[in-house]
Amino acid sequence: MATLTETPPPASHDQPPEFRTPRYRRPLGIGRDQLTMYGVLAVLAILVLAPVVPTLIQSVIDRPLYEDGGVLTLEGYRALFTDSGFGEVIWNTLLFAALTTVLSIVIAVPMAVVVVRTRLPGGRLVALAMQWPFFISSLILGFGWILMYGPAGFISVQFEQAFGGVPWNLYSIPGMAVTEAVALAPIAYVFCANALRQSDASLESAAQVCGAGPVRILFQVIVPMLRPPVVYSSILIFSMSVETLSVPLLYGQPVGISVFSTFLYKNGLQSVDPDYTVLGAASVVILLVTISLVALQAKLLKDAARFVSVRGKATRPRKLELGWVKYVSVGFIAFYVVFGALIPILGLVFRSFTLIFTPLRNPFDFLTMKNYETVFQFESYRQSIVNSLIVAGVGSVLVSSLAVMAVMVARRSTFRFGRAVEYLALIPQSVPGIIIGIGFFWAFAFAPFGSGTLLQGTLGALIIAFGLRALPSAFGSVAPSIMQIGQELDNAARVSGADWLMTFFRVLRVLVTPAFAGALVLTFVIMLKEYSPAVFLSSADSNILGTTMLELWAQGRTGSVAALASIQIIITAVFVALAGLLMKGKHHA
Amino acid sequence: MPELAVKNLKKQFGDNTVLHDNTFTIEDGEFFTLLGPSGCGKSTTLNCIAGLERPTGGSITVDGTTFVDQEKGVFLQPEERNLGMVFQSYALWPHMTIAKNLALPLNIRKVDKAQQKTLIHDALDKVGLADLSGRYPHQLSGGQQQRVALARALVYSPTMLLLDEPLSNLDAKLREQARAWLKRLQTDLGITTVYVTHDQDEALALSDRIAVMSGGHMMQVADPHSIYERPATPEVAAFVGRCNFFQGKVEQSSGNVHTVRLEANGEAVHVDADLDVAPGQGVTVAIRPERLEVVPAGSEVAGTNRLDTEVLTSSYVGSHYEYDVRLGHQVVQVESQRPGLSGRVQLVFEPAGALLYAEKVELSAEERDLLTVS
Ligand SMILES: Nc1ncnc2c1ncn2[C@@H]1O[C@H](COP(=O)(O)OP(=O)(O)O)[C@@H](O)[C@H]1O
Ligand SMILES: [Mg+2]
Repeated sequence: MATLTETPPPASHDQPPEFRTPRYRRPLGIGRDQLTMYGVLAVLAILVLAPVVPTLIQSVIDRPLYEDGGVLTLEGYRALFTDSGFGEVIWNTLLFAALTTVLSIVIAVPMAVVVVRTRLPGGRLVALAMQWPFFISSLILGFGWILMYGPAGFISVQFEQAFGGVPWNLYSIPGMAVTEAVALAPIAYVFCANALRQSDASLESAAQVCGAGPVRILFQVIVPMLRPPVVYSSILIFSMSVETLSVPLLYGQPVGISVFSTFLYKNGLQSVDPDYTVLGAASVVILLVTISLVALQAKLLKDAARFVSVRGKATRPRKLELGWVKYVSVGFIAFYVVFGALIPILGLVFRSFTLIFTPLRNPFDFLTMKNYETVFQFESYRQSIVNSLIVAGVGSVLVSSLAVMAVMVARRSTFRFGRAVEYLALIPQSVPGIIIGIGFFWAFAFAPFGSGTLLQGTLGALIIAFGLRALPSAFGSVAPSIMQIGQELDNAARVSGADWLMTFFRVLRVLVTPAFAGALVLTFVIMLKEYSPAVFLSSADSNILGTTMLELWAQGRTGSVAALASIQIIITAVFVALAGLLMKGKHHA
Repeated sequence: MPELAVKNLKKQFGDNTVLHDNTFTIEDGEFFTLLGPSGCGKSTTLNCIAGLERPTGGSITVDGTTFVDQEKGVFLQPEERNLGMVFQSYALWPHMTIAKNLALPLNIRKVDKAQQKTLIHDALDKVGLADLSGRYPHQLSGGQQQRVALARALVYSPTMLLLDEPLSNLDAKLREQARAWLKRLQTDLGITTVYVTHDQDEALALSDRIAVMSGGHMMQVADPHSIYERPATPEVAAFVGRCNFFQGKVEQSSGNVHTVRLEANGEAVHVDADLDVAPGQGVTVAIRPERLEVVPAGSEVAGTNRLDTEVLTSSYVGSHYEYDVRLGHQVVQVESQRPGLSGRVQLVFEPAGALLYAEKVELSAEERDLLTVS
């Protein structure tokens, strides 16, 4: 027996102790591993299908889903394309999305080239500054822009005084596109900058040896290299602007310009007697558009990945000397950051501390904390801050956990439907937030035994809907970190007797924690900024920051909006800073 | 007693067939090695035994227990096979101390704490690391990590030990010591062991039997001596040890002794080999560098086969000299104890010192460039 081997082990084969080989029970041939995996698949399938299926059904039923006696009809689609003005909506959406895309690329590409490939003073600072949209929602950006550049905006009025007129009109499709492009350009920037960092510098060296000047190298070697990231980010930005609600709602609503999202908003929320069949049909059409865009994007990304992997080892990119072009570029970047983001946002924050905000009177004479007092005085405003925190706090934990499980099943198991799990986790990326809102609204109305009414109008409903929105980002952030953990660690645990589930809980859980924490921070911030599904799902008790701000904005209570917006920015910043400190501390320990 | 029987093992990844219907058995207590170049399917074979991969076809049985049988749809999960495995990266769980690493498989087997303690101590003692049980993996050297991985694989007395290139991350000197140590340990424990390596020296030194693999096929399964002395194919001869290959034509045969005219220089040599060949047939003569003797031209050394050649390069490698000599357009590698040869020399070898194959040896373009001179 084992106790005998305390003396130096003899060279004989003493009988080794026999242990029970681990056995795992499999009632009906399905063990707990399989059960968990099917469970993850089922949860994802229900989450994804819950908003989509009722929408599909609603689009072909002649009355609201929750009413009895519905009859199958295509009337919704007919009405949509004949007398609902949907044709103009399509045209507006395409124009807005196309303009936004072009402008974003025009902003992002030169910036990426200059920052990555030239000796630019403060290049790192720019790279850092380009992360601002992570902290600030486009709703808040829209508020800021209107306060500054709107018809009665601070800068517009000043400009008018100096030059006798304003050559821009924010409340137009180009105005919407410029604002949206400012918010989305960082996406294109990140893709282009990464491509430029990875690309092979020897190509340029070769061109240089052949005597090509820097400007020539730029146009003949570097710019062609940017084609894949530009194509990919264009499609991404296009599909994001097709579904965005904030800017079109703030700018378009007052002057009657409708795009997809505001069409749904108006017909679903503001009409006295909403025609749900037409609403369903419109949702289905919009879904088709966004899903095809995302499918195209996925296909291109796959090809792009192939394109990148062909290249050998990445060499350190060579920096070009651009001379005077450099100073033009610095000026351009500074203009973008200062006028696009800094002034509107600082203006909004400043607005929260003053009673009157116009260049006609000195705003410093009216400094006050009253806006904040109002916000904290009224129970419903205060509640919306707390609600936002609850939704983001609880939601981020739930969605990050789900993402970790989904990645484990999709990438770290031999589950037959692993692929399906991955697709289900990524599909919500292609569903506009407002459709998720409408879809869950119908799903709750449709759910069997009235179980939906338990969720309808509660924070639970928002957590589910926002969580689904944030799931693809969570999955995308968790997957690479988990893939970095060597597969042999799992294999070692499996061979030594742990089943898949035990391998996860005993071995991988601790190793996955940083990935989980990263996803937690990301999804918290995303869910704190999110609001579009809530416009259909919130009740008076479950308002969140975004919906409350919209309401106050509609009432013209700009000061309170500014205060709430500032609070949201501060919460985000503090949370990210704290999380950064915590993770750093953990890392050093 | 654990005897492993693998029948028609087949594995495909998509359209890519990685294992082609391999059949072999491993005896109880045997040290069995899968040897072959990188990518030939060694790890895949081992993973099929461990249950980490599910084969596309075939069956694996250990001591009457079916691990997998694709025809019957049987598949035992890796955790139910009670095997011990050591990975190339060691795969020690980085957030657990050494003792915790060893305790996990025991916890799973519901061994009580007191017994766990003795078992862990014994296992670490076997690998000479009993005093390091409180350390974390990153605090150990590569060699120590490798031994801990082995202790972890042994602590629960598995029925079989699987090792996937366990020494390949150690530096050369340490690797040789670890090899001898591993051999002693395995002999002491008498545990059936399947070992994967691409290092032929390791395979020859450690194994009771070796399976030489190439492109998903098992070329030869035999003891080290047979593998080296009587390689079944030129490929095996080339992979296990070094070998010179000469193309030629059979002129005549008497019994097992065949006269072959070499393409390289047009001379005839005698080869003693148990191979059915007809006069006029194209063959390959294979001779290992140490079976060739190199002597200055004109010296009187007995030998049946003598080839006139010229020294191209000579290098001193410590225990002996290595000469590259020219035979026609072909470069021939020779090992010799004679120092300082240059100019015209003769190669001498016995008919039994050469091997004869009916198949032609296809050199890769790179090898061809290296082994021909104008
Ligand atoms: N998961 C996998 N998917 C596709 N191909 C694989 C996978 N694992 C291994 N292969 C392929 O199978 C072949 C054999 O791999 P492997 O058994 O790891 O080789 P070895 O261990 O002998 O170096 C290789 O060509 C490898 O590319
Ligand atoms: Mg291998």
